[in-house]
Amino acid sequence: MSPEIQAILDGLERLGYIADAPIATAVFLAREMRKPLLLEGDAGGGKTELAKALAALFDTELVRLQCYEGLDVSTALYEWNYPRQMLRARLAEDEGRPAAEIEELIFGRSYLLERPLLRAITRREGPAVLLIDEVDRADEGFEAFLLEVLSDFQVTIPELGTIRAEHVPYVVLTSNQSREIGDALRRRCLYLYLEHPTLEREVRIIRSRVPGAGERLAGEIGRFMQALRGRRLSKTPGVAESIDWAQALLRLHRDHLDAETVAQTLGCILKDRHDLAELDAEEVGALVAAAQGAEAA
Amino acid sequence: MTGGDLVTHLAHFAGVLRARGVTVGVGDEVDGAMALTLVDLADRLEVHRALRTAMKVRRRDWETFDAAFGQFWLGDGDSPRGTVPTGRIAGALPRGGLRIAAAGTEGDGDGGAGEGDTPGWSAEMLLRRKPFDQCTPADLAAMERLVARLAMKLATRRSRRLIPTRGRGAADLRRSLRRAVSTGGEMVALARRARPIEEPRLVVLADTSGSMDAHTRFLLAFVLSLRRVARGAEVFTFNTSLQRVTPLLKPGNVAATLDRLAAGVPDWSGGTRIGESLAEFVTRWAGTYVGARSVVLILSDGLDRGDPSLVAGAMRALKAKARRIIWLNPLAGDARYEPTARAMAAALPYVDRLAPAHDLESLERIIPELV
Repeated sequence: MSPEIQAILDGLERLGYIADAPIATAVFLAREMRKPLLLEGDAGGGKTELAKALAALFDTELVRLQCYEGLDVSTALYEWNYPRQMLRARLAEDEGRPAAEIEELIFGRSYLLERPLLRAITRREGPAVLLIDEVDRADEGFEAFLLEVLSDFQVTIPELGTIRAEHVPYVVLTSNQSREIGDALRRRCLYLYLEHPTLEREVRIIRSRVPGAGERLAGEIGRFMQALRGRRLSKTPGVAESIDWAQALLRLHRDHLDAETVAQTLGCILKDRHDLAELDAEEVGALVAAAQGAEAA
Repeated sequence: MTGGDLVTHLAHFAGVLRARGVTVGVGDEVDGAMALTLVDLADRLEVHRALRTAMKVRRRDWETFDAAFGQFWLGDGDSPRGTVPTGRIAGALPRGGLRIAAAGTEGDGDGGAGEGDTPGWSAEMLLRRKPFDQCTPADLAAMERLVARLAMKLATRRSRRLIPTRGRGAADLRRSLRRAVSTGGEMVALARRARPIEEPRLVVLADTSGSMDAHTRFLLAFVLSLRRVARGAEVFTFNTSLQRVTPLLKPGNVAATLDRLAAGVPDWSGGTRIGESLAEFVTRWAGTYVGARSVVLILSDGLDRGDPSLVAGAMRALKAKARRIIWLNPLAGDARYEPTARAMAAALPYVDRLAPAHDLESLERIIPELV
């Protein structure tokens, strides 16, 4: 492995993010090629966590834009500070200034409220990590706008003119694939699909994120989750759920899994009523046995 | 190896990928080449990961990619150059640009630029009125394009409503303040803008029983196209039992999706139990997927030998939750049709609209009602 990629792998691990070679390679390429990194994968697979870890790794600020349906430019880019503008306009009026001058006054940088995208490109100290989270939730119109921002790293505000990026940010986009991301946007990015971790990696993640969890507990949780993901579920739990669960079990002072405890805490990993209903006591027993059987072997 | 060699090899490799159905553009090749200059070329795994990331190979294409990579780069020896039977591959594949143009037209259908094979106006009109039960599988492809255009109408209808309004709507502070400048910060009148109409929440329940066979493929093709516009649409199929198929509906080729569906749905084109299926939907799924904004679209001929009271009960419960229930019935295309089949008759009081769905034109008419 290239030393630079190994360095990223080690660096992320020191920060508590247990990556693997594909992740480290993608991060390395995204950094060197200065391209946005599009992360796809199931929910709970650690996409958002990776962006946070990157900000820590590059020792910079994480600017996060959470996407949702109906997200518009004024929430993503900038908004004017209306109360301040209004006050200033009033004062200026009292001073008897002409309208044109008032307008000049109140449409200045200091009356501008920076939203994430503007914040990310105007950061002076160095490139930020810009996380555009769940981009699949925003509508296609917004995606087109995003495309424009990500290709030029400049935005135009009618009253102010064009603002160019001081430092081009590292961009991470995540998608849960609730819809297909447009080809144009996809082509502009590098692509990484985050799969559910292997058993070995999952156990390491649990142990790193929940330091109190012993080897036995983490191992059993890992094997239980691996087996559980093999089932047909409407919401397959990710690593995030494994971590939650480990924390919950720790609070309950458990150092291993047993059918009763699992049944009581199943809500930590299954967040869907139908999935919960379908996993009866017998199946829980079988999964626990599988998790422990391998331990004994 | 020189940079030039590498680029040539990569172009060949991209050609192999394209030949196997993985869409790779010139930009992806460029990114791939750049990635290769950054990684350790002696480390095959690293080259593999780098190319996969830089050429943006989607998860679903990974297997194909891995196989192609294995054959192309790792055939024998250390150097990729040694592995490439240049003559054979170069002979089998036209140069990059040509191939891309070809992929664009025969590709997944939403390229849209394939003017040459777009049906002419009259052919399109014919297709529009061609009853589904007389359509051949070959019509499906042409129909798919047509339906996609129909569905786009839904999208443009919505976006036109985003314009700021004069009368009602929420205050538009940005414009209000602009106006207030001339009155010294005094807001004489508030500018307003209307909230955009929310995307339709569409829930489709499609009958895939034997009696619907001739129509199902086309109706589902319609549903698939609708999903490009109404992205949150949920789709269920039912015959003797109910199944949620939304997870099976990946964007892309409609025909392939339909095959995947047919394979994934047990008892496809078997008998029907409408009442049981609707009841199951109400108890199991309606709580999650049907709300006050939902439009429920039922695609069924209403032919069923079960207990009609079960249908009525389920429909009543559905009616209480949903904004609108539209029942698309292929049989209703016939002017002589009367909804007298027992299940249909039982459902009718709770249906906001019973509409025919025997050809494209009838589907086109239903689109505005889905908003």
